[in-house]
Amino acid sequence: MPYDIVVLIKQIPDLELIKVNQSTEEPITDGVPFKFENLSKNSVEAAVRIKEKNGGKITAVLFGNEKGTQVMKEAYAMGVDEGILITGYSENNPVLTAKVLAQKIKQLHYDLVILGNQSADSMSGMVAGLVATELNLPLLSNAVSIEVADKIVKVSTATEKDVIKSETTMPAVISVTQETNEPRFPPVLQIIKAGKKSISTEQSTVKIENTSKIISKKAPKSERKRLIFEDVDKGAQEVAKVLKEAMK
Amino acid sequence: MKFLIFSDIEDSAKQVMSFLKGKGDFVLYTTEKGESLTKYGAQKIVLLTGKPEVKGISSLLSDEFSSGGYDLVMIASTVLGRDVASLFSGQKSIEVIPEIFDIKFNSGTVTTKRYGLGGKAVIEEESKSKLFTFLSGLSDDVPGDGSSPIETKNIPEGVVKILAIEQKKAKEVNLEKANIIVAVGRGLGKIEGIQQIEPLVKAVRGELAGSRPVCLDYHWLSEDRQVGYSGRTVKPKAYVALGISGQIQHIAGMRGSKVVVAVNKDKNAPIFQEADYGIVGDLYQIVPKIVSYL
Ligand SMILES: Cc1cc2nc3c(=O)[nH]c(=O)nc-3n(C[C@H](O)[C@H](O)[C@H](O)COP(=O)(O)OP(=O)(O)OC[C@H]3O[C@@H](n4cnc5c(N)ncnc54)[C@H](O)[C@@H]3O)c2cc1C
Ligand SMILES: Nc1ncnc2c1ncn2[C@@H]1O[C@H](COP(=O)(O)O)[C@@H](O)[C@H]1O
Repeated sequence: MPYDIVVLIKQIPDLELIKVNQSTEEPITDGVPFKFENLSKNSVEAAVRIKEKNGGKITAVLFGNEKGTQVMKEAYAMGVDEGILITGYSENNPVLTAKVLAQKIKQLHYDLVILGNQSADSMSGMVAGLVATELNLPLLSNAVSIEVADKIVKVSTATEKDVIKSETTMPAVISVTQETNEPRFPPVLQIIKAGKKSISTEQSTVKIENTSKIISKKAPKSERKRLIFEDVDKGAQEVAKVLKEAMK
Repeated sequence: MKFLIFSDIEDSAKQVMSFLKGKGDFVLYTTEKGESLTKYGAQKIVLLTGKPEVKGISSLLSDEFSSGGYDLVMIASTVLGRDVASLFSGQKSIEVIPEIFDIKFNSGTVTTKRYGLGGKAVIEEESKSKLFTFLSGLSDDVPGDGSSPIETKNIPEGVVKILAIEQKKAKEVNLEKANIIVAVGRGLGKIEGIQQIEPLVKAVRGELAGSRPVCLDYHWLSEDRQVGYSGRTVKPKAYVALGISGQIQHIAGMRGSKVVVAVNKDKNAPIFQEADYGIVGDLYQIVPKIVSYL
């Protein structure tokens, strides 16, 4: 039985390339290229695996900015059929994000909505539950494995203490973890082909009242000594001294 | 001020109660039976029984919030806690400030701190929000001598059917109390490598820990040994990172360590930016050398 799936994907600044402004101590994001958020990739992979087995159509929705087309092309190359880019994203705000995404999802046909459990930049972990509430759908979260059959979806969720197996009838919202799968690297040819595919783009119109205000956004302080030894022997001696001191 | 707390993890429950002591009254809702939870000054402890379905838990909490005269809600940032919080936020249309590691109460507002940009920024913000998820490590665990009464409530069933619950292995280590931690990453290459790290762990009377892939993906170590943003937050006197690249989500869990030692074969690994002492080279060659000098 084919399943139509909506995957929610996010673009984030390439965190490794963020430098710190030494005088303001603020991280510099201007000019940092965007990339495909880690858990969003796991979400696409999960959707594509369901499609490969059962058939169906995958629609990806990304709430971001114009640069999101690059991420969407990568999603196409991984196996997404249709991409919708909603622009107007500024600061991370899970409540707003969920409202924007849910408004769009409501216009689509789907059996499953798949997204990440906690995104790699804002790590809020809130979008899944908020989207499920907006759509009034059951939430199966933090899946480490997903099985679908006869419009029923079963997942295993690993909490800190237990592994919980649960199921519900579709439509449903599913969040996935890093451990769910290993996202594929699409072959170059597919990426080139994906580059020609169109992406439908629209501007977000949802507005909400922001009740919080940012006082500061600085890089965490690191006052480490950074004594790095390339001479292994000398380094080992020095480290042994430090460890002996810590054992006291 | 009156707080509603939810935590399905004993450690986090203890930390938040220790943190809130003297700041107001609080009631703990939990799925954990631990008798030791009664020593932290909660007005009462509500033990939630039945299947831990997140919608059921959030509906129950949201009813209690409406009827119990609560001002603020603090939910542990755990796998279940994050879902309970997001469903609660949606149900009640209350904005949530997620993943905080510090909070101050002003009159009518709160000032919170959380990580942004995957740990590259600390976001300090002021808000009127009433709902928060908090990271492990919010506070030290300081038990008192009170004895909170325990009540039980059953979690209502939801549309999600829970088929089975399998307990993971019991927690075998308390990393928060370790003096020295020796942590291994993907650079270890294979599970057998652990045996070659153990002499160092023994020599420094330390505890073994790991990065997320080592604990969750490969199961080279048990899951309770994972250090990092979504694992344990530790503050040992010395933290030795072997074959760990130093991704921000790992650093977030060990940033409070007194001295950090890193061994990595890549001279440009970000872990060296977060280290006091670093050695560039193969961990299999360097670890025995360190042991020989101890
Ligand atoms: C929401 C979220 C939460 C996360 N939470 C956590 C968390 O709590 N904890 C955590 O650890 N990660 C967490 N992560 C994952 C994190 O982003 C990284 O993927 C992870 O920390 C990388 O682990 P690693 O350093 O072991 O592996 P890698 O990044 O692969 O690094 C391996 C390192 O070993 C070195 N190496 C290889 N061979 C040798 C050798 N023989 N000798 C010496 N060095 C060698 C390499 O140079 C490399 O630097 C989280 C991610 C997300 C998105
Ligand atoms: N702006 C966005 N556009 C599309 N999907 C998103 C967006 N933000 C978050 N998501 C999805 O929600 C997951 C969890 O994000 P969060 O709850 O913010 O940690 C991500 O892995 C994505 O799958």
